[in-house]
Amino acid sequence: MSAAVPIIVLFYVLGVGAWLAAALDRAALKLMAGRPLAAATMAEPWRQGDLHLVRQRIWTERPDAMNWLLAPALYLILAAVGMSVVPFAPGFVVADLDAGIVLWGACEALTVVVVFLHGWSANAPLPLIGAYRYVAIGLSAMLLSMFVLIAAALPAESLAVSAIVESQASVWNVVRQPPGLLLFLMLGLSLTLRGPFDYADASDLAGGTSAEDSGPARAAWQAARLAMLVSVSAMTSAVFLGGYHGPWLPGPVWMLVKMAGVLAALVGATHMLARLPPARMLTLLWTVLLPLAFLVLALVGAEVLLWK
Amino acid sequence: MAVSGLARLATSAPAAIYPVVGKDGLAAVEDLSLHPAVSLQPTPRHASVLLVSGEIRRGDHPALRRLHDQLPHPRATLWWRTTPAPGFPQAENVEGDVARAVELVWRQLMTGERRSEDNLLPDEPPAAWRGKGDHGQGGEGMMGGKPYGRPMAMTDEDQRDGLALDAYTACFGPFLSVLPPGLLLELTLQGDVVQSAKVLRAPFAQAVADEPLRRVARLLRPLGLAGAAERFQRTAAAQTGDLKILDRALRWSGALHAIPPGLGEIAGEDIRASLRRWWEQAQGIASPASLGDGRLVDLLPGLEWSEAILVANSFEYDRLLRLCPPDREDDGDQEDCS
Amino acid sequence: MVDLAGILISSIAALATGLALQGFGLGGLSSEPQKTPYLGGSDPKVHAWQRYHVRYYSMTLLFIAFEMEMMFMYPWAVVFLEEGVKAMVEMGMFLAILSIGILYGWREGIFRWQ
Repeated sequence: MSAAVPIIVLFYVLGVGAWLAAALDRAALKLMAGRPLAAATMAEPWRQGDLHLVRQRIWTERPDAMNWLLAPALYLILAAVGMSVVPFAPGFVVADLDAGIVLWGACEALTVVVVFLHGWSANAPLPLIGAYRYVAIGLSAMLLSMFVLIAAALPAESLAVSAIVESQASVWNVVRQPPGLLLFLMLGLSLTLRGPFDYADASDLAGGTSAEDSGPARAAWQAARLAMLVSVSAMTSAVFLGGYHGPWLPGPVWMLVKMAGVLAALVGATHMLARLPPARMLTLLWTVLLPLAFLVLALVGAEVLLWK
Repeated sequence: MAVSGLARLATSAPAAIYPVVGKDGLAAVEDLSLHPAVSLQPTPRHASVLLVSGEIRRGDHPALRRLHDQLPHPRATLWWRTTPAPGFPQAENVEGDVARAVELVWRQLMTGERRSEDNLLPDEPPAAWRGKGDHGQGGEGMMGGKPYGRPMAMTDEDQRDGLALDAYTACFGPFLSVLPPGLLLELTLQGDVVQSAKVLRAPFAQAVADEPLRRVARLLRPLGLAGAAERFQRTAAAQTGDLKILDRALRWSGALHAIPPGLGEIAGEDIRASLRRWWEQAQGIASPASLGDGRLVDLLPGLEWSEAILVANSFEYDRLLRLCPPDREDDGDQEDCS
Repeated sequence: MVDLAGILISSIAALATGLALQGFGLGGLSSEPQKTPYLGGSDPKVHAWQRYHVRYYSMTLLFIAFEMEMMFMYPWAVVFLEEGVKAMVEMGMFLAILSIGILYGWREGIFRWQ
């Protein structure tokens, strides 16, 4: 029975976190737009979600119905599975895999597939363009993230997330490799189709892969995106911000506080930074950010060898 | 019963509007979007109220009917400062406060007091396809026929890398949310790169929509900066506001650097320079207006989709009208689009 | 075993949630005019599905090279401390060779939308 508790906690955190992320998103938008902020902002995600649920779902002409139905559900699965390797307290984890970050990497890669399927399945031009161009940026961002994750695994001598968290008992990885955290946050934006890395559901495509989503289909897709955002924040907190380590407060509280902080940072970046045309972003990723990731890896490697 | 509870909660969400903007209607719709009780949607799939603002051409009526039918139920149509088009039996004309009218219609739709509008077009597939082909799917062989009522795209030359893959030709507009309202473009795309462009109908003239702050806002939207764009619009509508905050939002966003240099260049001024010029004009720094003329259709070919959208949104309206002379010789294609 | 069961149960629960959310919705089936893809009021002439001209195909080849390299990095990360400088130098050489690929690709313009 005790094995079920982490699973229940996982879904609870995913759900509450998604709501918090949506509320933060609304608040950030209002802040940028200069609208007054009210406490009611916290309730807006519910209203918006319900609104989607009571409307009609439209299927386009000859869609790929199975993939359209499955895409949000698969996205949700990837969010849950990705987060299942993250410990919230010592030993309190759904799956303490030896190769935790490899599983997370697999979830990253499959996210690209799921987002593509979502854009593909409507058989409509704007979603299709969003789907194809997302693959270019999604793949490149994922490649970057794997280098920074490997760099984080070096001091731990393990690919298990719990071991990486333990290796940060004295010094957090964000101190060791600050650019690593930044690069990983970029991956988070790319995985959740947000802000400067939103090439799938972008405003220049009138919503991109979700341009043909209506009613409950839209609710499910948005919920899955938010869940993935929570999952990313959990992984970031565990790998770069010391996970449950921290003074005074109990471990799980630290973990949740750090996750909320990462959520706020990601949501803020969404509304503050402009999106580059995809070709420009692709060049930036490969010629500036990927070499930066190599540099991080080399520096961490040298530091680990000298330290021990 | 759970569903009616959901509906009650949904009533308190802002009204989801798909705006159809006609002549001189843009500034009014932009100002309406600042109202907390409404939210403008980029596609009819996300909206419940079709709001037609400003006079539209008779030739746009078929497009309007098609858009109307693309809204999910429950849905309603409102005319605002425009002559109602014929054939919308359940639509309503707004007199007076539009925000209140929208709120009222929204509440009635969500509570079920107002009946959702029926389709205007006949419930028939675009072409008869049933029963034809090996599996009754309407197609023959690999690419022949019209599978499910529509032909497939066919290969054509590509002007960038010469790889002859499928060319997708379609009319975009006249009310595509990412293009200036009224602009009907026939684009041929290979992947997401424009191969050729034709203006079938020019955008609508907008009398009061060309304040520099509004121009900046319209360019920030396709860059994904909805919040900052709204702040620019708000300042434009109120005609007062802290320009320092706007300056910071613009600079920190990296919008100027996100736009590729040389994009949409006419007579030495590219989009970056236009954005900088508008911002200087908004701050009261005198800055010479660009006078160079050309044709929008000459700027678009070879551009990737997001670049093309930036270009289409980067001109003052009076200038845009000069850049968009309709291609008259192709009346046949106009038939195809409307 | 418990780990894998946990992942499986989480997946099933997420799948069920994702599908259940889409079970809501009113308004019935889509009519034919509702099904037309959104083009701002125009009627599409052809199906959107096509032999799509993917502009970044040459980048994907470079991507595969790096992705294969990633396979070697996973075990390398675990034994890095044991092997010490040797591991560092070996991976440095490997990455350096691949980086020449980036430079070459950059010169050939593979990161532009061809």
